[in-house]
Amino acid sequence: MAAPILLENPLRQGLFADRVPAPCSLVIYGASGDLTHRKLVPALFDLYEKHLLPASFSLIGISRSKISDDDFKKGLKEALKQSEPQLSDSLWNSFSQNFHYIAGGYDDFKAYQALSVMLDKVDQENGTAGNRIFYLSTPPNVFENIISNLGAAGLAKEEKGFSRVVIEKPFGHDLESAQDLNRKVKEVFKERQIYRIDHYLGKETVQNLLVMRFANSIFEPIWDRRYVDHIQITASEDLGVGGRAGYYESSGILRDMFQNHLFQVMSLVAMEPPVAFEANAIRDEKLKILKSIRPFNEHTVYQWAVRGQYGPGFLAGEKVPGYRQEEGVNPQSNTASFAALKIFLDTWRWHGVPFLLRSGKRLPKRTTEVAIQFKEPPNLLFKNNVSDLAPNVLVIRIQPDEGITIKFETKVPGMTMEVRTVNMDFRYGTSFAEGTSEAYERLLLDCMLGDATLFIRGDEVEAAWDALMPVLNNWETTEPENDFPNYEAGTWGPAEADNLLEKPWRKWRRL
Amino acid sequence: MATTAQNIEKDLTDLWKSSPEDKTKNLGLQRVYTTNLVAYAADHEEGFRVEQILNDLAEKHPGRYILIRPAADSTETPLRHYVSGHCFFGGKEKKVCCDLIKLVAQREVIENLYGFTFSLLMPDLPVEFWWPGNLPYQNVFFDKMAGQANRVWVDSSKFKDPLQSLARLSAFWHSRYPHTLLGDLNWIRIQRWRSLIAELFDGEWAKHLKDVNRISVAFGEGSQPTRSFFLACWLAAQLGWVYKGNRISEFPEKLDFEGPNGKVEVILKPVPVKDAKRDRIFAVGLTTGGGNSGMFTVVRDEDPHSVTARSEFNQKVSFSRVVSFEHLHSNQLLDVGLKHLEPDAVWRKTLHLMGTVMEKPDLTPLEQK
Ligand SMILES: NC(=O)c1ccc[n+]([C@@H]2O[C@H](COP(=O)([O-])OP(=O)(O)OC[C@H]3O[C@@H](n4cnc5c(N)ncnc54)[C@H](OP(=O)(O)O)[C@@H]3O)[C@@H](O)[C@H]2O)c1
Repeated sequence: MAAPILLENPLRQGLFADRVPAPCSLVIYGASGDLTHRKLVPALFDLYEKHLLPASFSLIGISRSKISDDDFKKGLKEALKQSEPQLSDSLWNSFSQNFHYIAGGYDDFKAYQALSVMLDKVDQENGTAGNRIFYLSTPPNVFENIISNLGAAGLAKEEKGFSRVVIEKPFGHDLESAQDLNRKVKEVFKERQIYRIDHYLGKETVQNLLVMRFANSIFEPIWDRRYVDHIQITASEDLGVGGRAGYYESSGILRDMFQNHLFQVMSLVAMEPPVAFEANAIRDEKLKILKSIRPFNEHTVYQWAVRGQYGPGFLAGEKVPGYRQEEGVNPQSNTASFAALKIFLDTWRWHGVPFLLRSGKRLPKRTTEVAIQFKEPPNLLFKNNVSDLAPNVLVIRIQPDEGITIKFETKVPGMTMEVRTVNMDFRYGTSFAEGTSEAYERLLLDCMLGDATLFIRGDEVEAAWDALMPVLNNWETTEPENDFPNYEAGTWGPAEADNLLEKPWRKWRRL
Repeated sequence: MATTAQNIEKDLTDLWKSSPEDKTKNLGLQRVYTTNLVAYAADHEEGFRVEQILNDLAEKHPGRYILIRPAADSTETPLRHYVSGHCFFGGKEKKVCCDLIKLVAQREVIENLYGFTFSLLMPDLPVEFWWPGNLPYQNVFFDKMAGQANRVWVDSSKFKDPLQSLARLSAFWHSRYPHTLLGDLNWIRIQRWRSLIAELFDGEWAKHLKDVNRISVAFGEGSQPTRSFFLACWLAAQLGWVYKGNRISEFPEKLDFEGPNGKVEVILKPVPVKDAKRDRIFAVGLTTGGGNSGMFTVVRDEDPHSVTARSEFNQKVSFSRVVSFEHLHSNQLLDVGLKHLEPDAVWRKTLHLMGTVMEKPDLTPLEQK
C-alpha cells in the first residue's frame, strides 16, 4: 500500500485537508455511461476543488463507443455543467488536462495492451508513479471479462505502485454468481486490492452511526435486547422504475436494496464494537452480524417476508402508472417493488429483538432511516393520567435531512399531570452548515488513499446473499399470496406488512 | 433594565417566546449552540463591523455570541446590554437561531467584566475569544480572557507594529497562557498558499525539497509583508532551516537561512499593486539547486479568482495547473479556524521560528508597565 503522502511531504503537515492521496491514474471502464457522467466525474471535480485530488492525477476512460479524446472531454464537461453551471474554461482545462480516452471492446485484448502502454506513458509524463485504480462502471455482465483481461495484461501486479479495482453494484445476481465473481476477481487481484462499492456506506450519516454508537457512552449500555423492543430500518423511494425497467425486472427490490444497502446499515447498527477503527476490524464485526441472520425456512419465509408491487395511484396529486404499466415491464410481471422482512439476529446482544426492514418504490416519499424503539417503561406513576406511555424512540435519519431525533415523554406545563411525547432534534444541516459530501466523492478519495473501511469485503457479500437466498428462491418460484399489484402507488406498501409486527404496540412508523 | 445575568437571560427568553400571531411562523424554531464566542471591539465603528461578521458566522457556527465594546462617551451608563436573535433557514421550513448579547460599558468597567462575561456563557461548550484589532500591550480584560478561554483569535494584519507584536506573542504566549491556544486569522489567510505549494511536492517530487536554495515571495508594495513573512518562516520551520542573519526589527528584503544542503535565501519582494489589499501575496517561487535546477511557482492570474501552480525543470514545464482561489473574509477565516479545536502544531512551530528571526521583545511583566 502506498504510504500516506503526509509522511513524505513535510509541507502537508497541519493542512486541514491532509488526506490527500498519492499521485495515481484512474481508469474507468464504461466511461461513456451515466454513472461516469453524472456521479464519478462531478465527484472528482469536487475533490479537485477541495484540493483533495493529487496534483499528479490522470483519468483514462474506456468503452466501446468510438469517440475522440476531445469528444470524451466535451461530454464530461457538458455533464459537469449541470451541477457546476459557473464552471470556467480555464478551470475545466486544467482539471481535465490529463484525461484520455481509449475506444475498445471489453473483450478486446489489444485495448488492454494499449492501456498498459498509455499508463506507462502517463506515469512518465505526469508523475503518476505507477499507481492505478480500475473502476468498473459497466453493466455487471462484463465485469469478469474486464478483470481477467486486466490480469492477462499484467495490470493487476503491484510492481511500481498500487493497483486497485473498484467494482460497482450489483455484485452477483445470487449467492452462486457472487461466489463465482469473487473467485474470478481473486484469481487476479488480492482481497486488499478489491473495493466493492456500496454507495450507502459513503453517506455521512451512515458513517456517523459508528461515531454515535462508539464515541458516546449513553447509547451503548441500552443498545441490546434488554432495552430495545425492535428496530425498524426503512428505505423508501417515491420514484417508480423509470428507465431501469430492464434491470429491475430481473433484480427486484431484494437484490436492489436489501442484499446491499439495508443489510449494510443493519450490520452497522447491530455490530459489536470493533477492536480498532480500521477496515478489517470493522468488516469482521459486520460479517458476524450477517452470518448471525437466522435463516429463513419454508415456514418463516411466509411469516417473516412480505412482498408487494405497486398499482396505479397518485403521487403529489399526480396520477402515476402501476408497475406493470411501466415501459419495458412485462404486463404480468410478478417482480416485487416492495419488501418487508422480519430478521432475527442470533447473537447474545440481539436475541429475540426483531429487525424490521422495509423498502419500496412509489411509496409516499424518499427517505432512509433507522429507528430504535425502546421498550415501554412500566406505567405505575402516571396511570391515572395517561393510559399508555409512548416508548422512547431514537431515530437516525440517513436521507434526506440527515440527523438524529430522540422521542421522549415530558410534562405539559400546567396544574395537571399531563404527559406528552416530544421530539428532540439534531440536524446535520443546522449544527454544521457545512454541506455533507456526495457519497462517491468520499468513496473515490478513500480508494485512492487505500482505505477500504467503507467498501464491502468478499465474505460480507456472500454472507448477505446467503441470508437472502431462501426468500429470493421462494419468491421466484411461487405466486404472490395476494395477487399483484397489492399496493397503490403513493401509499406505504401492502397491508400484509403489518403481519410482521406481531405485537399490538408495534407499528410501522409513519414517515 | 439593569444589566444583570438574570435580566439578560430573561430578555433572551422573551426574545424566543413567540407572540401569538407568530406561532405559525415560528413553528420549528430551534436554538442551537455549538460554541461560545466572545469578541471585543475597540470602538463603535469596529463594533459595527464585528457584529456584521458575527451575524454571518452564526450560520456556520450557531452559538452564544457576546460582543463587548467601550461606551462612546463617559456620561453613558456604566454598563448596558442588548440582546438579539440571529436566525437562518436550515432545511425547508425549520429556522435555526442563536443569540448575541452586546455589552456596552465604560472602559474601567470592562477591565472587570471578564467574570460577568463568563457567567453568560453556555456551559460545556468551548470558549473562543476574538480580539479583532491591534494587540494590546497591557489590557486586563484581554489578559483575563486569554487566561480562561480555550482559544484567543487575533489578526496580525491589524497589528500596528506586526513584528514587535508577533515577537511578543512568540516569546510569552505559551508560558503566560499555557492552556490557551492562540490563533491568528492572518495565518489562516495563507493556508491556501500553503496547500498550493505543498501539492507541488507530493509523491516523488518531495525529494526536491532538500535542494531548495532560494525562495521569493512577491507582495503588494507599500505595506508590511506579514503574510509573506509567515510563508517564509513556515517553509523554514517545516524544512528544518536555521536562521543565520541578524535579528530584525523591520521587514527586510532578504533573509538568510541554513538548510540541510547549505545556504537558503529568502527574498521578500514588493510589487506595484492597484487594489488596496496590499499585504496580499502575489507570487511564490521556490528554486532548487543541486544537479537539477527546478523552479516551483504559484502565481496569481489576471483573473483574481484563480492561480497557476507550476513546476519546471531545466526550463521545461513538468507540471502546470490552474485552480480557483477565493479570498476569505473575516467570517470565513473564523469559520475555518473554529472548525478545528485541536492545537495547530505547525503554526506553533512557525511562530517559534519567527521568534528566532525577530528582535527579542521587551518582556517587562505586564503588571509592571
Ligand atoms: N447510474 C447510476 O446512478 C448507478 C448507481 C449505482 C450503481 N450503478 C452501477 O454502476 C455501473 C454503471 O452504471 P451506468 O448507469 O453508468 O451504466 P450504463 O450507462 O448502462 O453503462 C455504462 C457503459 O457500459 C457500456 N455498456 C452498456 N451496456 C453494455 C453491455 N450490455 N455490454 C457491454 N457494455 C455495455 C456502455 O458503454 P459502451 O457501449 O460505449 O461500451 C455504457 O456507456 C452499473 O454496474 C450500475 O449497476 C449505477
